[in-house]
Amino acid sequence: MKILVIEDDQATADYIARGLAQEGHTTEVARTGKDGLFLAMSEGFDVIVTDRMLPPPDGLSIVRTLRASAISTPVLVLTALGDVERRVEGLDAGADDYLAKPFAFSELHARLRALARRPAAADKAETDLVVGSLRMDLLRRIVTLGGTQIEVLPTEWRLLEYMMRHPGQVLTRTMLLERVWDFAFDPTTNVVDVHVSRLRRKLEGPEGLALIRTIRGAGYVLDVRPGTP
Amino acid sequence: MALAIAGSVLLISLVGAGWSWLRADEALRQELDLVLAGEAEGLIRDYEALGPQVLLDAARASARREALLLVLVQTAGGQPLAGTIDGAPASLRGFATLRAPGQPALRALGAMLPGGVNLVVAARLAAAEGAARALAWTPLIAAFGSGGVALLLAFFAARALERRLASISDVSALVTEGDLSRRLPVTGRGDEFDRLIVTVNFMLDRLQALVVAQRQVTDDIAHDLRGPLQRLRQMLEEVAFEDGSTRLPAAIAELDAVLETFSSLLRIARAEAGAGGRQEFELSALVLAVAEAYAPVAEEAGREFTIDVAPGVRFRGDPALLQRILGNLLDNAMTHGAGAIRVALRAGPVLSVADEGPGVPEAERDGVLQRFVRLDRSRATPGTGLGLALVKAAAQAHGGSVSLGPALPDGRGLEVRVELFRNGS
Repeated sequence: MKILVIEDDQATADYIARGLAQEGHTTEVARTGKDGLFLAMSEGFDVIVTDRMLPPPDGLSIVRTLRASAISTPVLVLTALGDVERRVEGLDAGADDYLAKPFAFSELHARLRALARRPAAADKAETDLVVGSLRMDLLRRIVTLGGTQIEVLPTEWRLLEYMMRHPGQVLTRTMLLERVWDFAFDPTTNVVDVHVSRLRRKLEGPEGLALIRTIRGAGYVLDVRPGTP
Repeated sequence: MALAIAGSVLLISLVGAGWSWLRADEALRQELDLVLAGEAEGLIRDYEALGPQVLLDAARASARREALLLVLVQTAGGQPLAGTIDGAPASLRGFATLRAPGQPALRALGAMLPGGVNLVVAARLAAAEGAARALAWTPLIAAFGSGGVALLLAFFAARALERRLASISDVSALVTEGDLSRRLPVTGRGDEFDRLIVTVNFMLDRLQALVVAQRQVTDDIAHDLRGPLQRLRQMLEEVAFEDGSTRLPAAIAELDAVLETFSSLLRIARAEAGAGGRQEFELSALVLAVAEAYAPVAEEAGREFTIDVAPGVRFRGDPALLQRILGNLLDNAMTHGAGAIRVALRAGPVLSVADEGPGVPEAERDGVLQRFVRLDRSRATPGTGLGLALVKAAAQAHGGSVSLGPALPDGRGLEVRVELFRNGS
């Protein structure tokens, strides 16, 4: 992926760039809002990470300018103001995701991967989601595994749909809380784990072709078990 | 208030009217008795001087003229000789009130005359009763008149007062909701109200300055500390990645716990400052969504979980904050409580979470709502000691309150009740 990082704090910018390079991405770093906006307007990036508070223009102004210019590159806004209302403000401005500092690199990376693939999937009006032999019929609201129908509860449906839209990607607990439950807080009880493990049990049919893996300390991945067709 | 005044004026007048009717009736009866006695005496004197014919003439004349005064002359045995008085007994001695069916009530005086003649003099009571009634009506009419005028005056005075109070209450509600720039209008009349309004406005100026300062400090702390903390976390993460040390992840986890406490404190400060977007939303749906997310967690832990949510409860407030405080209460019930958990939402709105655990001793109920206060027995479990403090701050930011009490009739368990401010006021 080609990623633009707009961040005025040198240490944070380096840290993000180094981490993304280690994951095999190409990054460009801009240290001011002006440079960042120029790069964002002139080159094609898969995803843009911008700090919210920058030497002008600030992160939200950059997002607004991009959207006004019909550039739909996904944008993740980083901020030291981690409040929910700020998050809503950011999303209203046209940002696709919002992450509060301090953050773990794994969280940022998971979110960037989820963002970068989104437009392609969102463009076509899908009626089916398919991962291995797991199939979700969005119109008839039916989930089948290897042709056998599986009963899923409404919450499990939302969880599974989100995971099937991001197959093979690490989805963190916070991402799941935000996207599936619309929770703006992190419960201290293992709410996500319980729901995921219930869903996982349902997906472990006789064939067990598609499954949810736990990535320790990071989150969950839905993918096709390696070595099976 | 005005109604109460007018009501009591009317009540007093009614009692007065009743009393004066009784008094007037009594006085008029006595008056009538005197008249009857005088008349009887006159007739008796005439009889003694001029003989029985005078009596018979007088009786006949009174019957003919249907005079106010009736005279009846009887034999000692009760046989009428002249005149008629309906319902008169055979030989009446002294005063009596006669009530013959179908006839007006009479007051009568009977006397035995020498020579075996019985004289009865009577007069209609109706006249006296009518006069008493008329007398009684007078204060009543006066009362209605003065009561009505009092009511009217009170109504206008109350309406003017109410209008001024309503404007104060409207502005107070807006300020409570977080619009600190509102001020009360001064009328310029220079009365007590204006003086009060000037004082209140001055207080609001101070409040606004303090809240703005607190918000500024909160944002500054957030921004100035999060930068270095972010860099510290980055360094730890990178070192951990490079040399694979097993102790560094523990250090990072410790740092994350500090960060969690830090952001909880900021959140409480922001809630206390009344920050946060207010919007109208369906509280029932929000409570249901959060409760349903926790239900499987409780079930996996082998604990009963009941959701009892009144449908269609709407509320104006900060949904993210309310979602979070319900999460905090359920986290507490899962971690520190025991047995069945019950989430309820009632119109009011009143949100409550109850469990059957050991509860909180009465003496410590206020304490656990403070920052960093934890019960001794829960110190071993992870937590910041800020969960309930945020619940309290959030409830107060919404003009509500939090109270802790036992969940079960026998005093066991814990019920946390969050009462929120009524909608739209």
